[in-house]
Amino acid sequence: MDLTAEAPTHFRSTGDRPGIVGLLREAVVEVLSRRRLIRYLVQADLQKKGTDTLLGNLWWVIDPLLQMLIYWILVSVIFQRGGPDYPLFLFSAILPWKWFASSISDGITSVSSAERLVRQIQFPKLVLPVAAVVAGIANFAFGLIPLFALMLLFYRDRIEVTLLLIPVVAAVQLVFNMGMTVLLSALNVFYRDIGNLARHVLRLWFYLSPALFTLEQLTHATREFPIIQKLLLLNPWATLFAAYHAVIYEGVLPDWVALIQVLIGAIVFLAFTTIVFKRLEPTFAKVL
Amino acid sequence: MVELEGPPAEAAPAPVRSDAPVAIEVRDLGVQYSLRFTKKTTLNRSFINLFRREPADAFWALRDVTFRVVHGESLAVIGPNGAGKSTLLQVLAGIITPSEGVVDVDGRISSLLTLGAGFDQDLSGRDNIRLAGAFMGLDAATMRRITPTIVEFADIGPFIDAPIKTYSSGMRARLGFAIATAVDPDILLLDEVLATGDETFRAKSKQRVLELVRSAKGVVLVTHDMNWVTEFCNRAILLEKGRIIAEGDPIEVVAIHREHSERSKAERQAALDRAMQEGGVSSLPPDAARSGVGR
Repeated sequence: MDLTAEAPTHFRSTGDRPGIVGLLREAVVEVLSRRRLIRYLVQADLQKKGTDTLLGNLWWVIDPLLQMLIYWILVSVIFQRGGPDYPLFLFSAILPWKWFASSISDGITSVSSAERLVRQIQFPKLVLPVAAVVAGIANFAFGLIPLFALMLLFYRDRIEVTLLLIPVVAAVQLVFNMGMTVLLSALNVFYRDIGNLARHVLRLWFYLSPALFTLEQLTHATREFPIIQKLLLLNPWATLFAAYHAVIYEGVLPDWVALIQVLIGAIVFLAFTTIVFKRLEPTFAKVL
Repeated sequence: MVELEGPPAEAAPAPVRSDAPVAIEVRDLGVQYSLRFTKKTTLNRSFINLFRREPADAFWALRDVTFRVVHGESLAVIGPNGAGKSTLLQVLAGIITPSEGVVDVDGRISSLLTLGAGFDQDLSGRDNIRLAGAFMGLDAATMRRITPTIVEFADIGPFIDAPIKTYSSGMRARLGFAIATAVDPDILLLDEVLATGDETFRAKSKQRVLELVRSAKGVVLVTHDMNWVTEFCNRAILLEKGRIIAEGDPIEVVAIHREHSERSKAERQAALDRAMQEGGVSSLPPDAARSGVGR
């Protein structure tokens, strides 16, 4: 019987695990050879997200706008802070952050909720978080619609060619999203409360990043807390938010050096989390 | 022509020459479960465990298991609940990796463990077929070829384009069976999936399983139905507590299994009687404590 299958027809299974390089190579081969499966999973995910609520995919447009409104009321109206065209400043941070947060919250349960599949079919489990992260891109892409609408309607003078650099910054973020989701989806198999924890950590992370304020304002405000200042230096979101603010709000080029540093960091981080995932993978079927 | 209950009367397959090509080779297989992590572990629970320092949290579901299946053989794996039979099938399917030892599998495997596993309730039957095929690693061309067969065999009419959540449980089972059996594998792993759906479909599915058994190069069957063992298998293994207790001619192995289960039933009864006499039901038979582990 001729079955040019995507799964091997001969396998040897032992207790030995390949080394770090072997695991990474295995991971890359698995993801590449199962592209079709990932595509189907992404399609299924998007299809479902669009159908189970009244407004469907429209929420991807409405959500960031509402969130922007809330922060605008909080910061500009109540605390009398925020700079010129502050709503746009807010929106250019909320949009990528929402993508990051939803990628993580969707991806965290990607392995543990596929429990029956994991127990009954042999397939590379890595496809699950990868598909969740790829599906998350839609969240960001749809969010660009209200962004451009906002700019066309209210901030026409802020439209610059640097807007074309959004995908570049987003690509760097995507690597980071992937790293986080791969790690957390594996850990969530063992500890089901990673999701609860992540929600709060994410919220704190957002406030400790220069999202609602510029980096200078945040450094100034936290000058009495040297720990927070040190964390700010390590925080990839300091660079990412600054880059989004630069290309969307200020219409200038991002800090390329910092961005490339974050990219390299994110790639190393993704490699690390992939290894962790691959090391834990053999136990998934036993624990789930 | 529809034969309903009991396996068709056929002569049991003859023993196979031992120099036939090997389909499955298992050497010194051991599978260890850690009891530290279970489905419901939370950080809270594991902090408690940390303080308790429970020492004995590992358990061997399989140990020192060695056997081989050559082409033309169908091997029955029998034994009491929690003996490690299903774990063994999961290892052969590549789902669980051994903690020690080596498993070599040569040929395309299909496990009928996969019956309707992980159907996505919100997707249509057709989308689920596509997804299941991709999970099983079947390429696009094969899927295009077998999808009509699956749809026809499952026989759920226009519902095939409706979400699975609108299906009756019978329809779901039929679709699951149709997907799992759509491809003729080289090596077939069976785990008690022989009764599915209504009478008519049960006959039809039994027919299909028999077809697969005949066309496969090697079969491993886990079952409690001893008729199947003696009727369709030319070798049998008796597993108890993760170890091979007996191996050989199905009739003999089944006889040993019967004897053992009678004895343990008698022992359990005796233990229960003793407990009743002592006025408490607290001392349950040892097997009951482990029942959550052997899946």
